[in-house]
Formats: sequence, structure tokens, C-alpha cells
Amino acid sequence: MYHRIPLSIVRLHLSVLAVCVMAAVYLCLQVSVAQSSDDDNFVDVGLVIFDPGIPVDKSTHSKLGIFPEIRKAEAKYMPVMLRETLIDSGDWGVVRVLPEPLESSELLVTGVIVHSDGQRLELQIQARDATGAQWLDKAYIGTTTPSVYPVNVPVDPYSQVYAQIAADLLAVRRQKSASQLSEIREVALMRYASELAPEVFASYLSSSAAGMYTLQRLPASDDPMLARVVRIRNQEYLFIDTVDEQYARLAEEMAPTYNLWRQYGAEQADYRDEYQSRVASKTSQGRRGSFVALEQTYNAYKWSKIHEQDLDELALGFNNEVAPTQMEVSGTVFKLSGSLDTQYIEWREILQRIFALETGLPPAP
Amino acid sequence: MRLKGLPSLWRNYQTGTRRYGLRWGTLRAHMQNPAKMSRTISLLFVVVLAVCACASPAPKRAVLQGSNAQSVNFSGSWEMDYGQSDNTQEKLDSIVRELNRDAQRRAAQSNMQQGAVGGGMMIGGPSSSSSILGMVRMADLITQSPLLDITQDTDKIRVKREQDFDLTCEFFPGELNRVETPFGTEICGWNGHQLVFKLLLPEGLSIQHVMTVGAAGQKLNIATTVVSSQVSFPFLLNRVYNRFEPGQSGYKCEVTLTRGTVCTTESR
Repeated sequence: MYHRIPLSIVRLHLSVLAVCVMAAVYLCLQVSVAQSSDDDNFVDVGLVIFDPGIPVDKSTHSKLGIFPEIRKAEAKYMPVMLRETLIDSGDWGVVRVLPEPLESSELLVTGVIVHSDGQRLELQIQARDATGAQWLDKAYIGTTTPSVYPVNVPVDPYSQVYAQIAADLLAVRRQKSASQLSEIREVALMRYASELAPEVFASYLSSSAAGMYTLQRLPASDDPMLARVVRIRNQEYLFIDTVDEQYARLAEEMAPTYNLWRQYGAEQADYRDEYQSRVASKTSQGRRGSFVALEQTYNAYKWSKIHEQDLDELALGFNNEVAPTQMEVSGTVFKLSGSLDTQYIEWREILQRIFALETGLPPAP
Repeated sequence: MRLKGLPSLWRNYQTGTRRYGLRWGTLRAHMQNPAKMSRTISLLFVVVLAVCACASPAPKRAVLQGSNAQSVNFSGSWEMDYGQSDNTQEKLDSIVRELNRDAQRRAAQSNMQQGAVGGGMMIGGPSSSSSILGMVRMADLITQSPLLDITQDTDKIRVKREQDFDLTCEFFPGELNRVETPFGTEICGWNGHQLVFKLLLPEGLSIQHVMTVGAAGQKLNIATTVVSSQVSFPFLLNRVYNRFEPGQSGYKCEVTLTRGTVCTTESR
């Protein structure tokens, strides 16, 4: 006699099995990474996708040269570029791009895109470690010259910006002693643990009003509750790494089109600058109020609008190419963000529920 | 006292074709003739001060709204109806007639008071013949788009104009769409069932387009008012458009960066 098992339960079991297998493999990898990190005083870095810096007042977008859809894509693209730079330097532990801030990261880097076009990039970067100590709060500005275009992928026109951020982070890290770096890692783990089970782990940390965390004590290294916390955290990292791969793929696939868009943008901006200086230096061709003077005024506006609208159309072209590509992975660029954020939140809730079930503790609020 | 010369000047206008525009070369030739130019300018100077705002009614100061409360839809393809649109030549003739009448009236008043005051012509002021002509030519220049392609949704409208930049407006509830650039400022919004675009440019030039769609949705009127700080009255031109269905091409094109404009066939 056969019992029909609902398909959803089969799927759930398969999913749990898959996650468990991957988690086991991942744990092994983590142990080896952790060992080498300890040896080399490496710090794991969490790079939150950047704030696209789009003003709420839509009427300013045109004046500021902001194309919101492209900015949103850049907010995912740029952290990936920074991640590649940090990884290539070999100075850091695991570097992840996070869909949302993970406050218990050993080192959490956030950024705001202040300005971005083919000529100039300005990022406001903040970095804070798990103890709450600020490593960076600085504006980074990069400019291009016409010679950088066309861009040869994987080279980025603003690679010097990412290199400078990496260098500044490294300079701060080098000022930290081994014991300070060790404390950062321990506080990071305790912050994660106290988020998951505040009743058990909150007393291990003290925090100040300024957001500084100090370690009061540590659980025993063989504490079973701590082992569960580490396991849950690794499962969360597993999900983040899956997301991370998607961001990396997104950046890789959008790079050629995006670079072309930046090149066009730079050319348009060059033209606009030249035009403005020409107009400023040239006296009106006709007497004020004459047709020649009025036509000159109107044409200046007309061509500025035509250039702006050309760029707008190019932005649409950008989306026309990027959107279907993203469909192949997980929806469009913009759907990707929303769905991953939601998935991440759901995943964290599931992990918290699993932890609560295992320990019998009430789930974290 | 008559404005001799100007009416014949305005007659040099292309009629019988689908192009409405002034034959500016003829005008220029006329203006280069010292005798004619002197007479023309003098006559215009005499009367221009008196006709403040009588050539075209001053546009009412509309209180614009950010939202499309009456759900007016301009979407579609439109082609200019030359028969129903204002004829720039006739509008200019109208100005000249007004100027003539006013000049005659003022001359008569002047004659009556000559004994006491001593008479004399009023020359000068903010408006000059070349400023008036400049303003009218501008109005003609910026309203020549024979075809419009309008796309509109709940948030925005884009009026693609042949031979000119697109007029765009985003609808923000409770606020007007205002875009400032180094070259000028654009303001747009709804005045009841009308959509108004205002363009404030340097050199004292401002342009206002008021779009109105007919009740049946088959006619579109764009009333364009040009204001120059050098002329004391605005100039208004109405352009009427008829809705048309663009021929079914059987293909659709979109712009891509790496491949340029890509066209794909589509089923009818």
C-alpha cells in the first residue's frame, strides 16, 4: 500500500538535504579558511550593495545627470569591483557582497554613489568593524581621460578608486595588533550569537550608546550552543555566497554594455562642457531681442535637451540588453535586488526558527 | 498715416504649399534697403508703444497642477492640419493692422493736442521692429514640427516633435514638474484639461505651449505663446493637429548600445 507524499514535502526534504550537504562541505572549507585567517590576521569583509544615491526629488535627476535605473545597477556593480580588488590583493579573508547590512560582519563596508558618469566617479565609503570602530569615512573620487575608452574588460576605468579604498582599509588593518584583530573576530561571532539568542549570549558583550561593543567574556570553546550558532552562521554565509555569485555574474555580464554606456556618457559630457565654454566665451551674435539672439538662446537649450534625450535613449538601450540577460539568472537586474533581499530575510527567519527549535529557546525578536 | 511697405512685405509668404513660414530672405532684403528699412522701423516705433498687449491677448496666468485630475490622454500620432492652424503671415498682418490703427489714432490725438504740446512722434520704448520680427520668427520656428508622436502614462508624457527636442513632463501629485539646467528652466503641469509647458530661457525669452485635445480625441491644439523681454506684448500661434494611425510597418525597432537600432519583425 502506497502513501502519497505531498510533492512540497519531498521538495522540502531535498532542499534540506542539499543545504546540509553544502553546509558540511562549506564548514570544512570554513575551518581551513579560519585557520589560515588566524595565522595571517586576516579579516573577513562584508560589502553591502551601495546606496545608489538617487535623490527623492525626481525633478533634480535630469539636472544632476542621474539615470535611476542605471544607478541601481551600478549600486550592485561597484561593490563587486571593490570585492575583486580586495580579493586580488590577498590581504583579506573572505570578501562577500551582501544584499543587506550584516551588522555582525568582522568588517562591514558601505558606500553611497555620490556621482557617477563616464568622466567622474565619486563614492562616499564607510567601514566599521564588529566592535563598532570606524575604519573609514571618506569620499573617493576618480576621473577618466578619453584614452581609457574603449574599456578593455576586465579593466575598469575607475580601478584606481577601488585600489585606493583597498589601500586605505589595509593601512587601518595594519595598525591593528593581532589581539585587536582577534577581538574583532570574537565580537563578530558574539554579536551574531546575541542576535540569534539574546537570552544566552547578550551578557557576553557590552555596548555603548555610541555603538561600540566590548567583549565581556567568551563561552567555552566546546560550548554546544556556540557550535550551533557557528553552524547557523555558516549556513547564512552559504546563502550569501550564492547571492554573491549572482552579483559577480551580473557584473561580468553587464560590464561590456555598461562600459560602452559610460563611454558615450563621457563623450556627451565632453561635448556639453565644450559647448558651454564656447557659449560663455562668445558674445551674442545679435542684438538683444533680435531673431539671431533669440535663435541662439533657443538652440543652446534645444541641443542640450537633444543630447540629454540621446543619453536617455541610450539608457533604455542599456536596459534592453541587460534585462533579458538577467532573466536567465534570476529575473532582471531590478527584480534581482528585490527578490534576493526578500529571500535573504526569509532565509534568516528560517535559520532563526531552526535554531529556536534545536535549542528550545524562543526565537529572537 | 499708413504702414506702407510692411503689408507687401508680409505678402511674401509661401501660400498654396503645406509649409507655413515667412520668406525671411525677402524680409532681410527689405530690411537691407535703407529707405524701406528706415520707413518700416520708424512706423513700427511710432505705434509699438501704443499696442502693448493688443497684438495677442496676454496668456492667462494659469495655476498649474501636478496631477492629471481629468485623466486627459494625448497619446498617439498627430499630423499638422495646415488649414486649421494659424497662418503666421496672417497673424503678422493682424499685428500690422493693429499697429496701423493705433498709429492713426495716436496721430489724430497728437494733431488735436499739437497746438498746446507741440506735437511729435513717439519713438523708442521696449519694443522695436526687429524685436517684434524676431519674436514672430521664433514663434514660427518652434512650431513647425509637422508630426508629433505622443506617449503618455499615469506618471509622464513625452511629446516627440519632428525637427525639435521632445517635450517631457512627469506628473507629481501636489507639485509641478520643474527642471532646471544651465541652459534654461522647464515647468510643466495641468491646467484643468490642458497640459502646459513653460520654458524660461536666458535673454528674456520665454515660451509656453498649451496642449488641448478635442472632445472626440481626434484634434489636438497646441497654443504657443512667445514672450520676449524686448517686446511689450506676447505673440500667440495655434497649431492644430489631426490624429492619424501610422502605417503598420510590420516591424518594431529599439535602441541597443552594442548593436545600435535593432528592428525585429512582428505579426500584424
